[in-house]
Amino acid sequence: MELESLLPRVTKPARYTNGEWNAAHKDPAGVRARFALVYPDAYEVGMSHLGLQVLYHVLNSHPDYLAERAFAPWPDMEQQLRARGLTLTSLESRTPLRDFDAIGITLPYELTYSNVLNILDLAGIPVRAADRGADDPLVIGGGPGAVNPEPMADFFDAILIGEGEEAILEIAEAAAEDDRDAALARLGEIPGVYVPASYEASFAGAGPLGSVTPRNGAPAHIVRRIITDLDQAPFPTHQIVPFLDTVHSRVTLEIMRGCARGCRFCQAGATCRPRRERSVATLLRQAEEAVAATGYDEISLLAFTSVDHREIEELAAELVARFGSRGIGIALPSMRVDAFSVSLANTIQQVRKSGLTFAPEAATPRLRSVIGKPMTEDELFAAADAAFSSGWARFKLYFMIGLPTETDEDVAAIADLVQRLVAFGRGALGSRAGRLRIAVSIGAFVPKPHTPFQWVGQDSRDSLNHKQHILQRGLRGRAIKLSWTDADVSALEAAISRGDRRLGRAIEGAWRLGATFDAWGEHVDFSRWERAFREADLHLEDYANRTLGVNDSLAWDHISCGPEKDALRAEAEQALGRGEA
Amino acid sequence: MAQLVCRYRKGNQIRWISHLDLKRTLERAMRRAQLPLALSQGHNPHPRISFGPPLPLGATGDAEVLAFYLSEAMDPGEVKDRLNQQLPSGLEIVEAWLPPRYKKKETFGDIDVAEYRVGIRGDVRLTDVSLRVSELLAREEPIVERGGLRPQRTVDIRPLIFSLSAEDAGGTGIELRMRLRTGSHGGARPQEVVTLLGLEDGETTICYHRTGLYASAQPSAARRRGALHRWTRTRSNRERREAR
Repeated sequence: MELESLLPRVTKPARYTNGEWNAAHKDPAGVRARFALVYPDAYEVGMSHLGLQVLYHVLNSHPDYLAERAFAPWPDMEQQLRARGLTLTSLESRTPLRDFDAIGITLPYELTYSNVLNILDLAGIPVRAADRGADDPLVIGGGPGAVNPEPMADFFDAILIGEGEEAILEIAEAAAEDDRDAALARLGEIPGVYVPASYEASFAGAGPLGSVTPRNGAPAHIVRRIITDLDQAPFPTHQIVPFLDTVHSRVTLEIMRGCARGCRFCQAGATCRPRRERSVATLLRQAEEAVAATGYDEISLLAFTSVDHREIEELAAELVARFGSRGIGIALPSMRVDAFSVSLANTIQQVRKSGLTFAPEAATPRLRSVIGKPMTEDELFAAADAAFSSGWARFKLYFMIGLPTETDEDVAAIADLVQRLVAFGRGALGSRAGRLRIAVSIGAFVPKPHTPFQWVGQDSRDSLNHKQHILQRGLRGRAIKLSWTDADVSALEAAISRGDRRLGRAIEGAWRLGATFDAWGEHVDFSRWERAFREADLHLEDYANRTLGVNDSLAWDHISCGPEKDALRAEAEQALGRGEA
Repeated sequence: MAQLVCRYRKGNQIRWISHLDLKRTLERAMRRAQLPLALSQGHNPHPRISFGPPLPLGATGDAEVLAFYLSEAMDPGEVKDRLNQQLPSGLEIVEAWLPPRYKKKETFGDIDVAEYRVGIRGDVRLTDVSLRVSELLAREEPIVERGGLRPQRTVDIRPLIFSLSAEDAGGTGIELRMRLRTGSHGGARPQEVVTLLGLEDGETTICYHRTGLYASAQPSAARRRGALHRWTRTRSNRERREAR
C-alpha cells in the first residue's frame, strides 16, 4: 500500500490509519449510494465534531447507503501526497474520494474554507462546481457555516441549510441516481437543499449588498431544516473511539438543541431555534449505551447552555448516581454565569473536577444590555464566590471587544472587573490565594448573518489592536493569563462570514497562494489573503467593516434560518437605537 | 485486589499508535469488557496499568507485556477472552497469568534485553550488509548522538548490542536480527543500529518487529524453582535449538 510508505515520514501517522473502535466497514457491493463525509480540519478536530458522527451513524445504519470519513491531511502529509502524485482517500477502505457518489463536507467555521478547496483538489475533483463532469462525485455542503452559503456557493453542487438527521437520507436517495444531472435535479427538490447553480447572484455595489434570485422555478427562499422531535432523533451511541487524543475524548450526549436566550451577536442561538430537549429517560439510556459501547470515562452534556435544560438537576443527580462509582465523570461544557451553575458543576464533578468557564462577554451593564446578555455583576461575583468556596481556584472568562457602541471605557472596565475578581478571589481563598488563576480570553466581535447585529460593521483592525493594548496594560499580574484572537484573523472571519458570491474568488485565490489551516495560528498567513482580495478586485473592509443599511437587500436574504428580517431589525433598533444601525 | 499479567501482540494495523494512545485504548477496552478494574485513588481516578518497555512508533511486536489490577480475583483465561472481544484489530492478548508468587507485584523492572527482527526492503544486498555488520561489531565504540533539539550527547552503544546478524529474507530484501539492551538503566534502539549500518537512506522500507523481551538476571527464587519468565516464551528458532 502506497500510503503505508508515507507514514514514517509524517507527524501523528495515526491520523491516517483508521481501524478505530466502532468505525464502520461496510461492503460497497450491497449499497446504492456511497458517501465520503469530510471534515475540513485535522483529524483530531474533526473527530470531536458530533455532527459527523451523527451523519455517519444515520447513513451506515441504512442498508442502502455507506459512509466513510476523510479529513484535511496535515501539511506534511499533503506534501508527501503531492510529491508522489497520490490522491486523497477515505480512511476506512482507502478508496479515492473521487470514486464516491457524494462528498459531504461540513462547513464548521469560515477559517476552514481554504481547506475545503485543498481537499477537493487533493482528491482530483475540480474545485468549481461548474467544471465538474458526469463522472465527478456530487459535492454537498452543510453545517453551521451553511447559513450564509454564498462565499462557498461556486464550489458546491448543493448545500443543506439546517439540521441533517432527516435530510441526509433524502440527499442519499438523490445521490443514488446514476445520472449526475438527474441527481442534481432531485437534490433541488429536497426542502432545505440549496443548489447554487439554480440561482443568479446580482450585486449592488461594494460589500454584501445585492440579491440572489432563482432560475428555472427554484424556490425563492431556502428554508432551514429542523428536527421537530429531538427525543426521537437518531443519536450515535456507538461513537467512533479514536486512538489519538482528540479535542474531546469522551462520550458526547446532546441534551438540548437550540437556545432560549437571545444574545444579539450569537449566530448559533439565532439560527438553531426553537429550543428542544431530550428527556431524562432517553438521555440515561443513551448514556448507558454509549459508555458500554465506547469505554470512555467521561460523559459531556452538550448544549449551547447545558444548565438551561429544564430537568438538568434530575439528569445530573441520576448520572452521578449511576456512573460515579464506576469512575466515569460528567462534564458540563457550557455554563451560565450564576451560582446555580457552580453548585451544579460541584455536584456533577465528583469524579473529576474540570475547569469552570464563564462568559460575561462585556464588563459594563450598558454594553451587556446592548448585546442582550442578561447577567449582572452580582451574579458573576456570586458564581465566583460559590466556585472559590467549593475548592476551585482557577477559571476561565470570555469577553469580547469591538462590540457595537463600545467605548474605551467599556474595554477598560473589563480589566477593572477582572482585577476586582482577582482581589475578591485572594480574600476568599485565604491561604490558598497563591493558586488563584484566571484565564481571560478576549475575542473580537464578528458580525454574523441572521443575527440582529448582521448590519453592524466590525471594528477596524486598528481599533481592535488599540483595545487589545488597553487590556494588555490593565491585565497584568501573576493570577491572570490573557489570550486574544488576532485582529487580522477576526477581520478575515468577518469578511467571509458576511461574504457574497464574489468572495469565492478571494477564497480560491488565497488557497491557490497556499492558504490552508487558517484556523491554526502557525499556518495562517494574512498577506496571502490580502493579495487574494486585491487580485479578486475586492476589499476585505467592504465586507468586514462596513455598516449596512437595515433596509438593504443582503447577499443571504434568500436563506431563511428562523428569525424574520423584520424581527432582527426590531431587535437591532432596540439595541442600538433607531437609525443607528 | 489482584494483579494480572498479559502478553500481547501489537500488529500491523495499529503499529502507528503511540504508547500513550495504546494505554488509553487498553483502558477503554477494559471498561468495555466490564472488567472489575481497581482504580487509582485521587483527583483523576484511572485504571492501574503497567507496561513493559514501550515499542518505538511504527514497530510491531508479539512478546509485549502489560499488567493491571482488578478489584476482585478473576480467572486469567476469562479476562483474556473478554478483553480480546473488545480490542481493535491488530491488538490481541495472547496469554494472561497471575504474577509468580516470588514477586509481590509485576513491574517489569527486570526486563533488560529486547530482541528485534528488522525487515529491510529496497536496494540492499546481504553480502554488503553482512560486511557492515561485522565492521560495526568490531569497531571500538560505535557512537550515536541523542537528545533531539536539546543539547546533544553521545552514547557508546556497542556494549548495548548483545548480538547482531543479517539474513536473507527470501528475495524481498534482508532481515536484521538483533538483541539489544533495554530498560530503565539505558538501552539501544533498533533504529540507532539501522542508522549506524547506513541503511536508512529514505529509499528503503524498514519494518521493526520485536520478537522477545527477556530478563537476563533471573531472581534466585525463580532459578531455584526452574521457573522460566513467562514473557521469554517467544524465542527464536536458534534459541530453541540451543535450549534443547
